[in-house]
Amino acid sequence: MNKKWGIAIIMCLALCAFNIATEHIFEVPKNWPKPTYNSNKNPLTKEKVELGRELFYDPILSKNNLISCASCHSPYTAFTHVDHDLSHGIDDRIGTRNSPALMNLAWHHLYMWDGAINHLDMQALAPISHPDEMGEKIESVVLKLQHSKKYSKLFLKAYGDTVVTGEHTLKAISQFMLTLISANSKYDSVMRKQSHFTEQESKGYQLFKQHCASCHTEPLFTHTGFENNGLPIDSTLNDIGRMRITKNPQDSLKFKVPTLRNIEFSFPYMHDGRFKKISDVLKHYTSGIVHSKTLAKSLQQPILLSSNDKVDLTTFLLTLTDKVFLFNPKHSFPKK
Amino acid sequence: MVMRKFIWMFCVLVTHNFLFSQQDKLVFHPTFFNQTLKPEVYYKLNAKDSIQITSFKFYVSQLELLNGRETVWKEQSSFHLIDAFDEKTIVLSVPSNITFTKIKFQIGIDSLTNVSGAMGGDLDPTKGMYWTWQSGYINFKLEGNSNLCKTRHNEFQFHLGGYQQPFNCLQTVFVQVKSKANVTLNMDVAKLLLYIQLSELNHIMSPSKEAVELSGKITETFSVSYE
Ligand code: HEC
Ligand code: HEC
Repeated sequence: MNKKWGIAIIMCLALCAFNIATEHIFEVPKNWPKPTYNSNKNPLTKEKVELGRELFYDPILSKNNLISCASCHSPYTAFTHVDHDLSHGIDDRIGTRNSPALMNLAWHHLYMWDGAINHLDMQALAPISHPDEMGEKIESVVLKLQHSKKYSKLFLKAYGDTVVTGEHTLKAISQFMLTLISANSKYDSVMRKQSHFTEQESKGYQLFKQHCASCHTEPLFTHTGFENNGLPIDSTLNDIGRMRITKNPQDSLKFKVPTLRNIEFSFPYMHDGRFKKISDVLKHYTSGIVHSKTLAKSLQQPILLSSNDKVDLTTFLLTLTDKVFLFNPKHSFPKK
Repeated sequence: MVMRKFIWMFCVLVTHNFLFSQQDKLVFHPTFFNQTLKPEVYYKLNAKDSIQITSFKFYVSQLELLNGRETVWKEQSSFHLIDAFDEKTIVLSVPSNITFTKIKFQIGIDSLTNVSGAMGGDLDPTKGMYWTWQSGYINFKLEGNSNLCKTRHNEFQFHLGGYQQPFNCLQTVFVQVKSKANVTLNMDVAKLLLYIQLSELNHIMSPSKEAVELSGKITETFSVSYE
């Protein structure tokens, strides 16, 4: 009997230790909602996250072995592509959209500007296979990884098996992306009552809650749904957004609401990267809104902001910069 | 505590093996009219055309046996990728000591599985049955060429799938069976192709109205024979 209890206690302890370990890798910030990503189906471990990180930074995922995920999602710019409006991929081909900043992805339920991807695990398939991005096939990626000594070791460590599968490759990349949590901006410390807004930031926060928060909802600064925010159509791209997927005219010109966290670093802005500066964006919201059938209700009435208001609002938006996130060594290029 | 659980599991496994060790075969047999369908062979629908099938793959899922209206057996985590030209994949097995009058299964992958992230085995995205630019499994894939198609190499490609309304392509198939012995499910591709009008429609590559319509015809291709 004693022995059995002993075993039971050891198992409990092991389980607790495991829980503590995973919590440390993926911690839900205080007062945040429950993540949409079900990590019970893909429990995070240090080894799997590390494998995912290697994959994220490795051009082996592309056909010519030159383009990695980080080519378009650089850690120092909140994982977006800064120098281009439309992202550049394999053989310098230009895509049709701006690469979004990557953070807090565990709380999203659909991915891409039009929600084409229904699960974070499936996200990597899109750039890997896209002829203008990495131009490769997941089947060949798996073969390349299988033939690499480095990855045999890493897969063994992560999954206890040197056999590389599509499932394990994708889930590891997900694990790395799940750890990209930004919740340490000045805004966050104010919310945790560890610091204070300046008067200007405070005013900006009020304006933000009044005009912007219905879509860029706290604490993620996006409600993760799709909206038409009144941008004029770019006739060279004719991007209809969400309607491409649902084929429903009510979704015409709706795009996924992007987060505003780290907005200071994630320019250029919007799905096609049309704006370079925050001031361009504010100009759009105050005087550039195009009224079409699917324009969001909250933007039907004009937003009036004086030039002081604009400065205040911008000052607030800059409190969303999270240096801990941007310069986190755990997120950057893996060391040899 | 732990020990008792093991013993219990052991008993379950042993009885399970005893009960289900006898297996009958359920064979998916692709045909073109009454002939066995072979890859790269030319067939005729009408006098004027000639048709060759290069790839024919589909998912069979949620396999169930019914006796009258009652479900008497249900396969656990039931997902099979069937490649009509790969003998290894066309044979499924069902327990032989169960009396049943109907076989039920789905052609394709249900919506819950479609939104559940990366999976392994036959559902691994390396199997070529997953859309990359828009998430979702391809339920049914038929590719080939015909002189009726005014396309490059006279190719046609039908990739049917989609799990969201109004473009949900999942199909439920019921087949009445008489005998309990090994069952062969014949699938007549010619019936699908007669429905399509290859001269007008030569590809479907995404969830759409056309995909839903054509998926609805898959059930009509089935007929039963016994070994
Ligand atoms: C050639 C540039 C490029 C490469 C390489 C690239 N991406 Fe992207 N990424 C983009 C663009 C552009 C989008 C937006 C596309 C769209 O909405 O259609 C995007 C979107 C995403 C999103 C969705 C974010 C959201 O909020 O919806 C994720 C996640 C992502 N990429 C991860 C990755 C991963 C992982 C890799 C490597 C396997 C990768 N990307 C490689 C350009 C790239
Ligand atoms: C009706 C919902 C809605 C409201 C209200 C709204 N936005 Fe947006 N915002 C969006 C959508 C949707 C996008 C992406 C549009 C696109 O790219 O087509 C966006 C994009 C942005 C971007 C670009 C982010 C990036 O990474 O590209 C910024 C900055 C921004 N909004 C700031 C604001 C500010 C400031 C306010 C308040 C004055 C505001 N938004 C009000 C829906 C909204």
